[in-house]
Amino acid sequence: MKIETTLSGSFPKLPLEPGAPNVRVIRNRMDQSKATEKDLSDAARETTRRIVALQESAGVDIPVGGQVAWDDAQTFFARGVPGFTIAGLIRYLDTNTYYRQPEITGNVSWARPVTVEDYRLAQGMAHRPLKAFLPGPYSLYRFSRDLHYKDPKEALAAVGEALGREAQALEEAGATWIHFEEPWIGRAPASEAPHVAAALTPLLRGRRAKTVIHVPFRSPAAVFGAIRDLPWTVLGLDLVEAADAWDLIPEVPAGRTVALGLVDARNTLLEDPARVADSVRRARSMRSDLSWQLCTTASLEYLPVDRAAMKVARLTEAARLASANGG
Amino acid sequence: MPRGLWTTTVGSFPKPPHLEKARNQFARGEITADQLRALERDATIEVIRSQEEIGLDILVDGELYRGDMTTYFAELMEGFQISNPVRSYGNRYYRKPVATGPVRRTKSWTVDWWKFAQSQTKKPVKGMLTGPYTMMDWSFNEHYPSREALAMDLAEAIREEAMALAEAGATFIQVDEPAISVRPEELKLAVRALGRAVEGVKAKTITHICYGDFDVIYPALLDLPVDMIDLEMANSRYDLLDRFKQHRFTKEIGYGVLDVHSHRIETKEEIKQGILRGLEILKPEQMYIDPDCGLKTRTVEEAKEKLAVMVAAVREVREERGITA
Repeated sequence: MKIETTLSGSFPKLPLEPGAPNVRVIRNRMDQSKATEKDLSDAARETTRRIVALQESAGVDIPVGGQVAWDDAQTFFARGVPGFTIAGLIRYLDTNTYYRQPEITGNVSWARPVTVEDYRLAQGMAHRPLKAFLPGPYSLYRFSRDLHYKDPKEALAAVGEALGREAQALEEAGATWIHFEEPWIGRAPASEAPHVAAALTPLLRGRRAKTVIHVPFRSPAAVFGAIRDLPWTVLGLDLVEAADAWDLIPEVPAGRTVALGLVDARNTLLEDPARVADSVRRARSMRSDLSWQLCTTASLEYLPVDRAAMKVARLTEAARLASANGG
Repeated sequence: MPRGLWTTTVGSFPKPPHLEKARNQFARGEITADQLRALERDATIEVIRSQEEIGLDILVDGELYRGDMTTYFAELMEGFQISNPVRSYGNRYYRKPVATGPVRRTKSWTVDWWKFAQSQTKKPVKGMLTGPYTMMDWSFNEHYPSREALAMDLAEAIREEAMALAEAGATFIQVDEPAISVRPEELKLAVRALGRAVEGVKAKTITHICYGDFDVIYPALLDLPVDMIDLEMANSRYDLLDRFKQHRFTKEIGYGVLDVHSHRIETKEEIKQGILRGLEILKPEQMYIDPDCGLKTRTVEEAKEKLAVMVAAVREVREERGITA
């Protein structure tokens, strides 16, 4: 059986080739009033085209758009949702990257599509169905500072509802895959299980698209009971940083898909495709009633673009080896 | 009469625009290393003078010759290569160290700069290094079998530099560990690595920590084998003081009172209130008053104004409480 390949989240925006359209250069030139918004949008379009083409030429089955217009994984969405305001820079978990902290200052309520144009732009350049990206509701709430709600459950339900409306807009725009990034689920203690469920339940209810709950960096074991039976399609696990996430595979309901995060998005060391394929076989040997994807552990934007491109090539090569030998 | 409330800074100062321009020119090959070095020395002299004028007690060289706080050191070490740019946020990028072999200190990293800065003033100038845990955590690792192995080799290299700084006469040596607080499960490793980095160093040793989840790492943080822990207090609205009430802070503290992420200049009164809240549970001789973090993201003018208000606030508190420097 073929192992499908996909990426998790954003992709480095800088070009591999010198002289190619470069959003970083254009943004710097805009700061000096030497470039226009149109220059930036042209460069962003070409960057997205390059990111999609790189994945397709490497043979990635479910490519991503790369989130070229996103400054981080939260604020692109939060900025467009009433109830959120955007505050100062803080560190993104244990990475040396940063995000602007959303603050909840009023009732969170979806008003209009926020990410759909970004998705349409990328999908228009792809020859295969692309995976749309949204922050997961539990993580978006935990990354935010709640200055409004008295009950976290109420806030989480509102954030989940807003993301559900956005997911619906993506579905109406043609998205057949939607990725929800949930790093905080891997950090949630068991006592947080009701909150995790409160956030994800309205989001996943009645989805037409296939949904991915991706948990980078740590195992979601402590709250897995709260998400196990929710109607998600794919559970994405980081099996490099969180080797204990292997222990969850026996707990996954039959018929679901597990995305095996076996290509490390946080280190430049290149994986041996044969060893990655061995790990895929190990997973398959554990369960015959699940489907499998092979993916990166997290966003490849933690890496320089040259290494990110090499990782994509290793990922698809590993999937080819696993598919060829795994039956 | 009690002594205390000495004033200092966390390390970096903003680079003046002409120096930023010169660094870009150097990167493009338009000026020589000697030309850049001359401008860096002039700017360092200016930073020392500025700190003296403001009235700070313990000075820094301002790190005007450094770019990123890990890459600067990695570029001078054996065993590291430097990656292509990686995004940190929005349109900000930096080049990350990549450990590709055994990491070693083969020459001094900061001693000449420290000597130069110290020669410009009679006040003590801190030696400033990045700690082994942070160097490890903020580097890619293509060589070592574990994070621990890389951190401990880095600790050996950093210890050599710290010893050289102490030998040159540095009486305060700060080994920054901003990454220490984000992986509580590795705090023991961080303690061990920092302990080795400062082992036998004959100077007052300091570490600066910021951002982390102090609910999880305090009071274990007090195990860090240094004389002083420098913490951002203002940014967390002095919430850490509540933890200190539950478990006494037993070391000297670098007590951050300026938000380095804000353009706003704090008022003297709000800084005084922050210090007075600290004095309710800390002794003045424990407290070194400083900004929350390095000032490099502020403009030169903002940095000066913020520090001037800080020093004025400290003077008033000292006078009101009968505390001498």
